[in-house]
Amino acid sequence: MQTRVISLLVEDNPGVLTRMSGMFTMRGINISSLTVSPCEKEGLSRMTVAIKGSESELEKVRKQLSNLIEVLKVVDLDVHESIIRDLCLMKVHTRNTEARTEVMQLAESYNAKIVHASFDSIILELTAEPERIDRFVELMKHFGLKQLFRTGITAIGIDY
Amino acid sequence: MTVKKLSGAEIVVEELKNEGVKVAFGIPGGALLDLYEVLYNETMIKHILMRHEQCAAHAADGYARVSGQTGVCIATSGPGATNLVTGLATANIDSSPIVALTGQVPTSAIGTNAFQEASTFTITMPITKHNFLVMRTEDLPRVIHNAFYIASTGRKGVVLIDLPKDVQANRVDVELHPGDTPPGYKPNIIPNKVQTKKAAETLANAERPVILAGGGVISSGATDELRNLAETLGAGVVTTLMGKGAIPETHPLSLGMAGMHGHIYANRALNECDALLALGTRFSDRLTGWQLDQFAPDATIIHVDVDAAEINKNIPVDIPIVGDVKLAISDILKWLEKECIRDNSVWQKRLKEMHAACEECICDVWRAGSSTSDILIKELSNILDSNAIVTTEVGQCQMFAAHYYMTREPRTFITSGGLGTMGFGFPAAIGAKVAAPDKKVVDIAGDGSFLMTCQDLATCVENDIQVVVCIFDNRYLGMVRQWQELFFDKRYSQTHLGITPDFVKLGEAFGCYAERVEKPEDLKSALNNAFESGKPAVLDMIVGKEDKVLPMIPPGGGITNMIGTERCKHV
Repeated sequence: MQTRVISLLVEDNPGVLTRMSGMFTMRGINISSLTVSPCEKEGLSRMTVAIKGSESELEKVRKQLSNLIEVLKVVDLDVHESIIRDLCLMKVHTRNTEARTEVMQLAESYNAKIVHASFDSIILELTAEPERIDRFVELMKHFGLKQLFRTGITAIGIDY
Repeated sequence: MTVKKLSGAEIVVEELKNEGVKVAFGIPGGALLDLYEVLYNETMIKHILMRHEQCAAHAADGYARVSGQTGVCIATSGPGATNLVTGLATANIDSSPIVALTGQVPTSAIGTNAFQEASTFTITMPITKHNFLVMRTEDLPRVIHNAFYIASTGRKGVVLIDLPKDVQANRVDVELHPGDTPPGYKPNIIPNKVQTKKAAETLANAERPVILAGGGVISSGATDELRNLAETLGAGVVTTLMGKGAIPETHPLSLGMAGMHGHIYANRALNECDALLALGTRFSDRLTGWQLDQFAPDATIIHVDVDAAEINKNIPVDIPIVGDVKLAISDILKWLEKECIRDNSVWQKRLKEMHAACEECICDVWRAGSSTSDILIKELSNILDSNAIVTTEVGQCQMFAAHYYMTREPRTFITSGGLGTMGFGFPAAIGAKVAAPDKKVVDIAGDGSFLMTCQDLATCVENDIQVVVCIFDNRYLGMVRQWQELFFDKRYSQTHLGITPDFVKLGEAFGCYAERVEKPEDLKSALNNAFESGKPAVLDMIVGKEDKVLPMIPPGGGITNMIGTERCKHV
């Protein structure tokens, strides 16, 4: 089961998200990540959907999405030909100076930003490919992860 | 275009008229008072007051299937809208064009659990092709135009428009009749020439070509083209349930319906063919059986459908063609003019044998008198003119009708194929009769199905809509009973319906003509009496309690594993 990334251009109407996610529910497909945002065109939004599935499942999803009246464009993004980013905010427990130093050093090596620090914790921000964030999260678990927030991926095709 | 000051309700009615709407089936309610106020004086749109919203949707559906025009149904907010749901789902899965209008609580009250509030927009999203919740009166012209455009183009379907009370009441300056269409909706109508050429080459070189005609052939109006193509190729034609009427079933190349309750030779033709042209069908499980690798195993499969999402969905296809069936057949015929069509006289002979065997099998049933249900259908088939419209309920009566009723013209066999909705046939017959007042309309009903929507006999009597309901009265939920008999050791759990009601008295209570038919030979005179009476009619036909629809593909089986074939002629 491979992760597939689909980029959609949709009309910015109330209910369009329900309609889109409802289509996945109806066809028994689980969405692993979904982001919605305004785009360069007035009245339209861009959605980035990540699903896990086979090539044929992806094909079916693509066609069903194209059938939705409010969907203007459906693009399967080739993960090797796209820039894919996820943003993560996390609160890491730093019980002593030693832990704090270590967390700060690791954050630096991952290009994660320290956005807030308190006596016993640090809030970090990292924007990167999802796999890189996964690795950083695993590292931080070692110190004690109090809270973790991820936006889900957004993606842009290099040639599209 | 001129700007006018109109209320939302006036805009709705003006736009409906502009879309050519002549009839609407509905029931008013608190959230629709404004709309019905405008309809009160309207002479261009005939409103038929139904007695249940489900029937309003089925009637609009029947109207659409018979006329080819978009049907319109109207229901109020909350329970009115939720009652529509079954009817909308029924129409949508069978790609029947309907525009449904529903009342909604005022925009300021949405989300407050106001009286008769239900979120019709979210409830109907998965059972419609598209739906709208109109929050501004100014949007009405565009929304209504788009609703009809979406419902009636590409793969046809249901579009619902939810109309809050204040949106109907507000008066605004608007420009009527906008021409713009939704930017993301571009149905693929024109077939790819390379693909149709490939299809023509494959068919011309086939030894044993078969055409599988689905509902898409009828909805695209391609029946003449289909017949022409079949005759050009000498291809056998089998249909799906929805495709009944795509070719006259009396045509020598027709082998009738294939699938779970299809003709054994229709299934055999699918099994034996080396090229299969599937037109406007979605390869439902009731057609293919459950062993998909057994479906047309030797054939190069060509699939034409206007909905790209149907291609490769259930059956892997060799030559996909996305587009309108009528255009695709015309293109294939054009390419065939340049092809040398292979001599397939051996296959022609085989098709003739199979066609004859099917006919003989039906005659045998007639002679043997083993099951009153199939004899009654055969009798109906003999009595009714070829242009008479038959609607069916769902279950045994439907499958008896599908198997034994000889459909000779398109849009004359109206049935709930995809959803299998009991209670569909009678209200659909109402819509059918309204669409085609000069044709005879008969609902082939089961006693279980008919009780689900029989209150609309009142609608028929009040509006002088002469439909004849022929109830196959076995006092069972027959199809479920059949499965219990065959696969659950005759444990008839909750399928016996008791002895109530007396359907003759029920019909008479509504003011209908009613008669009991005890023996199949009495059907002809009873039907005559019914038509002569000039009234809507109920015929209570007593059938064998344990009649079974056979042959059939048992659950889990493939298309060649039919059971109950003993009485079929083997060729």
